[in-house]
Amino acid sequence: MENSKFMQVLEDFLLPIADKLNNNRYLTALRDGFMVALPLIIFGSIFVVIANFPFLDEIISEDAFAAYQNALGPASAATLSIMGLFVIMGIGYKLTEYYEGEAIYGGAVALAAFLILTPQTLEEVSGVIPVAALGAEGLFLGIFTAFISAELYRFFVQKDWTIKMPAGVPEAVSRSFSSLIPIGLTLTIFLLIRIIFNITPFGTVQNFIYTIIQEPLTVLGSGLPATIVAVLLIQIFWFFGLHGQIIINSVFDPVWYALNNQNLEAFQAGTELPNIITKQFIDSFLVGMGGTGMTLAVIILIFLIGKSRQNKEIGRLGAPAGIFNVNEPIIFGLPIIMNPLVLIPWLLAPVVVTIITYFAMSTGLVPKPAGIIVPWTTPPILSGFLATGNAWQGAVLQVFNLIVVMLIWWPFLKILDKNYYEREKKEKAKE
Amino acid sequence: MKRILLACSSGMSTSLLVKKMEEAAEEKGIEADIWAVSNDKAKTDMAKADVLLIGPQMRFMKKKLEKTAGELNIPLDVIDPVAYGRVDGEAVLNKALELMEK
Repeated sequence: MENSKFMQVLEDFLLPIADKLNNNRYLTALRDGFMVALPLIIFGSIFVVIANFPFLDEIISEDAFAAYQNALGPASAATLSIMGLFVIMGIGYKLTEYYEGEAIYGGAVALAAFLILTPQTLEEVSGVIPVAALGAEGLFLGIFTAFISAELYRFFVQKDWTIKMPAGVPEAVSRSFSSLIPIGLTLTIFLLIRIIFNITPFGTVQNFIYTIIQEPLTVLGSGLPATIVAVLLIQIFWFFGLHGQIIINSVFDPVWYALNNQNLEAFQAGTELPNIITKQFIDSFLVGMGGTGMTLAVIILIFLIGKSRQNKEIGRLGAPAGIFNVNEPIIFGLPIIMNPLVLIPWLLAPVVVTIITYFAMSTGLVPKPAGIIVPWTTPPILSGFLATGNAWQGAVLQVFNLIVVMLIWWPFLKILDKNYYEREKKEKAKE
Repeated sequence: MKRILLACSSGMSTSLLVKKMEEAAEEKGIEADIWAVSNDKAKTDMAKADVLLIGPQMRFMKKKLEKTAGELNIPLDVIDPVAYGRVDGEAVLNKALELMEK
């Protein structure tokens, strides 16, 4: 492995960044919060897929199809559509756990604080909570609320203000009050925040966060330039053998999930999908092609043109896992890490695929991601089909992109393979 | 019984290694319990392990995990990238055994 001084300098620069981003307690809690929500999100996604099976609407009557969709609706309405709730609970729980407090109270207080800030009227009907507020629109507010409420809860717990019980009161009774004061104070603060915002032009905190932070960030994140930057950063981290997604996703996931849920809402309402860049754009069309850097194309290429024993071995080793988008054998085995020879295709291919996919979707050739969360281990072709809301064009686009990646890698892999092959020949001659 | 814990981002790629390490252990006639977890589970699972090995792509987790490992008094290290890429069960197993002996 080539390990020049320049590489060392870069590694010394990147490792602390990876360390900071990954070990930051808020980003860790955020990532773990999404992990809590993920099984529910995937459960909901599966039923969106089943409810929208292709051609079903043409086989059965319109009424039967509507009844069928209605029957399955609650599965996603209770999970995917209101994913914010689960993320918030997860963040509150995980952050409190980090502080070694009673985590379940942290989760509960985060959830309650968020609901206090949430609008409780919809079109002048009171006593309702708009579902949208618990999904995409409330995501950012929810994340901030979870951070702040968990911090306040911890602060008040550590202050240890307790209600003094007269002697003779059982221990258990006084303990039952121990979380009352921290939770009560935390939620009172959130109630005050709500009241203060009521008199501002924003009306609700949700509206304020959405307008000031979430909308500008998601608009920025939904654009091609920001996406290319994110993709390049992931590739660069991986080039140094650092897990790029884990590091970058903790920053981008809130944006990508918010964009995703906007598409889901539109998909289920049957209106035009607003976003191209979503969680699924990244997960199915970039990572979902054999893993980061779309290395399934590299494996296929090794089988097609590889001569060296070492490459063939790596291809055989990497293929079964690669189909399910696990590609560490290729990244560390080829190797891709710290290998100047493959740096160009490693950085170029994902950017080209991002651009192709973006324009294929913006021109309407391929439907935009439907907001369904397809697990990242879903093999390509299937994942493209599912991610675009059961559209064959999504699968075709993945095949096309795979070929593009192979063409980009071709000359570089050829050189690498030739190097290995000649070295193997020399070693054999020596024996 | 040697209890060897592997950790990576989601426990996927290290689980490839688990199989190979189990094969290597069997060949050597070593009784070993080897399993892979995601990095967020590593902390809790460490209590049940004699040694922790971290996937090289998660090496920035080492510092954080070292604290818990220190409290539990178990050794840990990052898996060699070359052995990781080749899914070389024997090399990683040897490394684990070597760490435990120290």
